[in-house]
Amino acid sequence: MSIAQTALVFAGIPILIVGTFALLVFGPSEVRQPNRYRPGKPWTYPPVWYLPRPTAELGSASGGHAAVAAPVRPAIEAGGSASASAPIPQAVGGASGEW
Amino acid sequence: MSGDAQPSAAHVGHGPTAGRDDGSKPFNARQLARIDEALTLSSRESGLTFSVYVGELAEPTRATAEELFEKLATEADGAVLLAVSPGQRRLHIVTGEASAPRLPNRACALAALGMRAAFANGDLTGGIVTGLRMLADSAGRK
Repeated sequence: MSIAQTALVFAGIPILIVGTFALLVFGPSEVRQPNRYRPGKPWTYPPVWYLPRPTAELGSASGGHAAVAAPVRPAIEAGGSASASAPIPQAVGGASGEW
Repeated sequence: MSGDAQPSAAHVGHGPTAGRDDGSKPFNARQLARIDEALTLSSRESGLTFSVYVGELAEPTRATAEELFEKLATEADGAVLLAVSPGQRRLHIVTGEASAPRLPNRACALAALGMRAAFANGDLTGGIVTGLRMLADSAGRK
């Protein structure tokens, strides 16, 4: 066997086998959830703020994904100032945690 | 999901579920549907307004979460904010005057514990859903 053939047999075939198994093991989750969160990884996404759907809308929503795409009520303007007339509600309690 | 907002006051033009899994969004459609269901059901059952914030919290994170809560509470009665910062590995549950009698700090701590367990496993959606369910269970029916 020439050197090229030897390299192909003793390096190429093992690499091919290892690569196949790696693809089988890690491939599906990469396809399904490419953006999966793992603790310790930096969080690069813009902040999101979710509110429950207003109760009036629940009756008309047809459920499932159609309901998710239902019209939204105005999002809270996080940067805007609160209406000056009403007293600003204060945070009273809660809990904190780290992981 | 009914609304989203960025702390920078710039509105996100599209609905949270409008995207494909292009890697630019933290949750895919199925995860968003789960969060939406948990949010809506727990809010409807308990009569409180639960809200979930996922993103960076400026230091000190507790004060930032309370600021966000104050903005939320001016719009909704009985507001409860769950603020999660995956990058900083912090979470805050904030209750106000209307919601604190229904949700004592002990109940919030228990929910935070459940959420921490899921987050530590990398299950953001599961942790949020667990927290919402535990809080709604503690609050009881309206």
